[in-house]
Amino acid sequence: MAFANARKCTGKTLSTEGNGAGEHDNDSFCESTSSFNSSDYSDDLEPEWLDDIQKNGELFYLELSEGEEEAALAQAAANRGVATNHVRFSEKEAEIITEQNKKQRCSSRTKGEPTLKRLARILRRKRRPSQRRGGGKDGGKENSNLSSPPASILKNQPGQRQGVTVQQQQLKEVCVYLNPKRLGGSSTPLSGGLLEALLGVVHRPSWSRGQGAPAEVTQEERLSVHGLIPNSPAIKCGQILIGDVLVAVDDVDVTSENIERVLSCIPGPTQVRLMLETEALVGSSSVGNTSSVRKTKGSPPVSQLVRLLWGEDTAELQMSIGHIPHIVMYLSLKLDSASPQDEEEILYQYPASEASGQLKGVRGIFLTLCDMLENVTGGRILSSSLLLGKQLVHVGYWKESNNLVVIGLPAERVPLLYLQMVVGDVVRTLKVMYGSLDSAFCKADHAPRLDHFFCLFFQQLIQPSRLRDGSSAPTPDVSGTLFLDGLPAVRWLTLPPEIKMEVDTVLSDFESSDFGEMSEDFFGLRRLYVILGSCLFYKSYLIANHLPKEDLLDVCLYCQHYCLLPLASEQRVGQLVIWREVFPQQRASSSSSSTAPGYSQPQGRHFLLIVGLRHFMQCVLLEAGGCASPALGSPGPDCVYVDQVKATLLQLEVLEAGIEERLNAPPAPCLSCADWFLPAAAARDRLVSAASSSPVFSKLAGAVKGSSTGYRGRSLFGEKARRSSPQRSLSDSGSEGQMDAGAGQTSLAPGLSPHSTPESGRRLVGRRDSLTSGGSDGSGGSGGLFKIPRRKHPNPFHLGTLKKTLTERETEEMYNTMKLTSGAENTLFHYVLMETVQGIFIAPTNREVAQLSGSIHPQLIRNFHHCCLSIRAAFQQSLPARGRRAADRPQGGGWGLGPVKEHGVLFQCKPENWTDHRKPAPTMTYWVIGRMLLEPVPQEFYVCFHDSVAEVPVEMAFRLSFGLAL
Amino acid sequence: MMMLQHGSTQLLCLTASSGVPLFTRGASKQLPFSVIGSLNGVHMFGGGQEVVLSSCETEGGGRVVWRVFQDSVMLIAVSGGGQGSGGGQGGAGGSKEEEVRLQRLLENVWSCMVLVLGQDELTNVRNVERLKRDLRSCFSLIDQLLEDRQEGILGNLTHCADSLLPPNPTLLQEAVDGFAQASDSEFGCLIVHGRIAAATEKWWRLAPQEVVLLSALMRSLSASGSASCDYPVFLPQGSPTVAHRLLRFQLLPGADVCVLCGPTPSLHRAESGIVGRFWTPLVETLRDCLAVGERCLPPSVSLRPDVLALLLINRETRRSVSCVRTLTNHPLGDPPLPSKARCWELLKLFYIFSTTRYFTQEEALCVSPEEKAQRGNTEDFVLGFSHQPLQCYLVTEECKSYGLQTPQHQLFLLIPLSVPTFALRTVATQTLSDIVAAPGF
Repeated sequence: MAFANARKCTGKTLSTEGNGAGEHDNDSFCESTSSFNSSDYSDDLEPEWLDDIQKNGELFYLELSEGEEEAALAQAAANRGVATNHVRFSEKEAEIITEQNKKQRCSSRTKGEPTLKRLARILRRKRRPSQRRGGGKDGGKENSNLSSPPASILKNQPGQRQGVTVQQQQLKEVCVYLNPKRLGGSSTPLSGGLLEALLGVVHRPSWSRGQGAPAEVTQEERLSVHGLIPNSPAIKCGQILIGDVLVAVDDVDVTSENIERVLSCIPGPTQVRLMLETEALVGSSSVGNTSSVRKTKGSPPVSQLVRLLWGEDTAELQMSIGHIPHIVMYLSLKLDSASPQDEEEILYQYPASEASGQLKGVRGIFLTLCDMLENVTGGRILSSSLLLGKQLVHVGYWKESNNLVVIGLPAERVPLLYLQMVVGDVVRTLKVMYGSLDSAFCKADHAPRLDHFFCLFFQQLIQPSRLRDGSSAPTPDVSGTLFLDGLPAVRWLTLPPEIKMEVDTVLSDFESSDFGEMSEDFFGLRRLYVILGSCLFYKSYLIANHLPKEDLLDVCLYCQHYCLLPLASEQRVGQLVIWREVFPQQRASSSSSSTAPGYSQPQGRHFLLIVGLRHFMQCVLLEAGGCASPALGSPGPDCVYVDQVKATLLQLEVLEAGIEERLNAPPAPCLSCADWFLPAAAARDRLVSAASSSPVFSKLAGAVKGSSTGYRGRSLFGEKARRSSPQRSLSDSGSEGQMDAGAGQTSLAPGLSPHSTPESGRRLVGRRDSLTSGGSDGSGGSGGLFKIPRRKHPNPFHLGTLKKTLTERETEEMYNTMKLTSGAENTLFHYVLMETVQGIFIAPTNREVAQLSGSIHPQLIRNFHHCCLSIRAAFQQSLPARGRRAADRPQGGGWGLGPVKEHGVLFQCKPENWTDHRKPAPTMTYWVIGRMLLEPVPQEFYVCFHDSVAEVPVEMAFRLSFGLAL
Repeated sequence: MMMLQHGSTQLLCLTASSGVPLFTRGASKQLPFSVIGSLNGVHMFGGGQEVVLSSCETEGGGRVVWRVFQDSVMLIAVSGGGQGSGGGQGGAGGSKEEEVRLQRLLENVWSCMVLVLGQDELTNVRNVERLKRDLRSCFSLIDQLLEDRQEGILGNLTHCADSLLPPNPTLLQEAVDGFAQASDSEFGCLIVHGRIAAATEKWWRLAPQEVVLLSALMRSLSASGSASCDYPVFLPQGSPTVAHRLLRFQLLPGADVCVLCGPTPSLHRAESGIVGRFWTPLVETLRDCLAVGERCLPPSVSLRPDVLALLLINRETRRSVSCVRTLTNHPLGDPPLPSKARCWELLKLFYIFSTTRYFTQEEALCVSPEEKAQRGNTEDFVLGFSHQPLQCYLVTEECKSYGLQTPQHQLFLLIPLSVPTFALRTVATQTLSDIVAAPGF
């Protein structure tokens, strides 16, 4: 039974034969579990990830949902056309330690595995030696096939024959994704057998040889493709043409006689390499297809990131940043000088490429400085800056007992301000994953995993855009990632109370470890793990957390490093299961020094279980030892716990609609887009003439400008000011009008003429009214009148001057939103509020920011993040050192600038591509302010708003945290 | 065991080729030779691998900065960090200021060495012992640069000439022009209280670093107490190989005038004839000038009462005016204002803070490309901004600071905590317009 199998793999024996996975309908919990079990625990007894468990019990299993995985593999096939040195097909033993996806299921298992599987594995292993042979050839041929996706299956087109000189037989390799599971329940083989059903190739035994019955099968006939079945993998890959001859499958020669047997050996969804013989037409358009063509074919939703997590493409990615110097080294400071060997002090080093060569060569500098400077200046060394040729490289140090971690990063990617934070985070992540730096670096079998770890690390820092290749995410904001990842907090999404309560209840149910018939108690076993807590992510937002803050940060560091959060938001994750032993920092540190009377943390081992399903991801921290039975050896994940988490996630899926609704809701607090505050180019000219000839507007302008500083008005009033002093109106000192950028406004203009009468002016006003009234009718797309597509959520605070009937409070209530800024208009562009007690921060969701798209706004957001780096560094420098070193309290502000409470910078921006040279470009100024708040709760608040009304950040922070009830 | 006390800086000078130490200056105890050798050694080792080690930072704000000049002289500055330890996580913020300070120091020291000895002697080192002996004449200047004890002189840091705005500039300007002309020279300046009160046009056209150094030299010469002197100088950017004579005359205690001239006139002739001719009728004007005192601003310029300290830089002419005031109307019960010395320190720190992060400097034109490349490295953060920073402010527990930059000026203010934050901008803009309206700036 499946259940028995699952228990066995953890090494426990069953005292009673449990029928636990039966069909008990005690409560909904069990019901969902059992239904889940019955579907999965079918003939295929084991969960898919079971094979991926490594020797030390760790598991990293990522499976995308079906459609996406096919695309992923298709892309992998496409990319493989280029002859690169992929290291993944190494000649290593089957026990490959790097994290791989199940399609390279090469980990040997000691369990008794079905013979079919073994055969499949042998088939796969045979693939390796011939990899080179096949891959190098016909790269061009593959390209040519790819470039014409709606494949002309009939390759022998008459048209192509002209000009053909030679016809040759050529071998080509095609990768096809086969899914035997799709054969479905009705596995009655079709007439074509598995060849048709699974692959989609129609082969008719030769009729031409005599008039014998079709049943007469000739011996050892070549498998030529006579037809392709629609919607089959063969057609989908686009490279199998009619007339090709199938020569080998995974390097096993196939003929019509053994093809069925070979195909039946394929155990699960996997990629298969087919060798086909085809007739090439030399002189056809098979040349000149560059990889760019290949890349633009389709739009595979799977990103480079996923492939990197699967362990592919590491070599390629490494080479692409080979020219940028970067390195990580673990050096030993104590040398056995009796027999100094070359490079003996390097305990670990990555990467082994020319990027790091120079830095490796000067490691003597790092060792010497580390040794010497402590005595000279009285502090441990933190960083150095070096010039390699023309590039500035910052090197961060971390000394631990007698060893030194050295991380070198290019200065343009990581400013020196933040280097220490980055190094600290990496060290903490490694400590969480391995317990201590020594155990991380010094064990030889950790090396490949560390290579993968640092490959991810460098890729994220040095070329993050490459990782987003192929996915729909916007280009990453480097400063933004640095800043947000460096915060000791996780991004939080506020949910409506009903949903939040349900989420919390479901999580609490899970954490109570009451698994009913699946629990250990039912089987008379001691409890295996105590669930210390869990946290739940939806897309990349944290929606519920029952972990203590330090543990949450540890888990979050791990997730950040492996990019699990963007993964959940962009891809639809079919299944993600991660299991490893972790060493949470706050628990590890207290274990050694627990001589104080009273409660002390139990000595136990801690494990992290992360399960992801579609957009949800739950991270659970488990403890073995203490209350639960001690963990012996390296236990792998327990299937029951994994299933329980999955069941929890399935339960939560009903709430997905509610959460999506929350994400689609208009932003609260209300946000403005930067482009709205920049006067548009074209429309202004026409509106100037309109304003100048209309006395009505001058009166209105006068009235309005008296009350506030004129920005409440519209563009017309801005022009009014312009008439008085041409220079000043263009600069944004508060006389800006409310204008929509660019195209939105041109639809107003046709209605006006240079000699507009007051009637037309009033008509204009009327139109504006209807815009706002359209807005007040609902938060749907009311901007249609003016063809402003981005105005999905018209800013209710952008009121026309004549619609002053609603007070601010009423507006807030009507639209269920809140205005954070003082002043009549909403001038808030962006904000980040970090609460340090819970370890969370809130910021506008990505969707809200995307909706405010404009040309200046994304730039502004990037600028905001870059500035926040500086502000945060200013806050950090003045605080007593928390974190890694012992706290030295600053003495009486006698050094440095002293503790900084608030820091703000005023920026000025202009639209790019300003083509009108007659007039100077319009400008807009905005503030980026950071404030440290110590009461009522320690918080850090960063805000960006338009410079029209002076704001007090403390008030804004209070309004924000009060309104959101964090 | 720590060799460098808190806050102190050691300066090491060695030959770049062989690593022979030339001198070591600094307040605290000299570093042992082994340390000096290692510091030089790591740099040379890196150089052999085509890696240029430029700086290094330790906990607690300690810093080491290396720089090689003209491939012949290596200067290393080691700073021991601040008292207590304000830096911790991300402590680069605090000692980034330190690094800029040390970089400036190295540049100034090199320029000062060239000023005194000429570039030829420094680049072609034939006799190391002789060079060591000659370098002793630089020591007073170098010590002045190192200790930076003089309050109110920020020129070393900003590379802008510290100025004093006299109440009657035209008279003084005429006098200086005439005096310089009579001395067969085009370069002349009047220094009051260590700051330039008036100078010929050509003097302002010298590289800012030269102007700053000449002022420093003048200060050290006048500190020696002599009534006049004749000192040979090489201009580091203008004429590093050809010497000029710097003739300095003391007019009144606290007021000196100097000219840069060629072989003529002789000191005696100038002193007896020319000085008296031009400067005797202006004694009263000079006394008025001296009365301006530390404020550096003429009485016609009134500052707002809530300005604690200010530093105003004219970016085009590379001149600066700075002062720290004692506020009389500070209400009791409010947190105490920082002391004068602390105000100067805060002003300097805030200047470095703002210019390293937000306000790019347009450096002088005659900076060699190699130096520009190295200096550009410390400004890599500023380039990360896609929009231009205009103003910035800081609120700390001692005071509030406000900095703003326009195309012509940079202004840095210290304001007491009692002033509300939203009013800072008004204070700054008003102060700027008040001072800019004054003649002569």
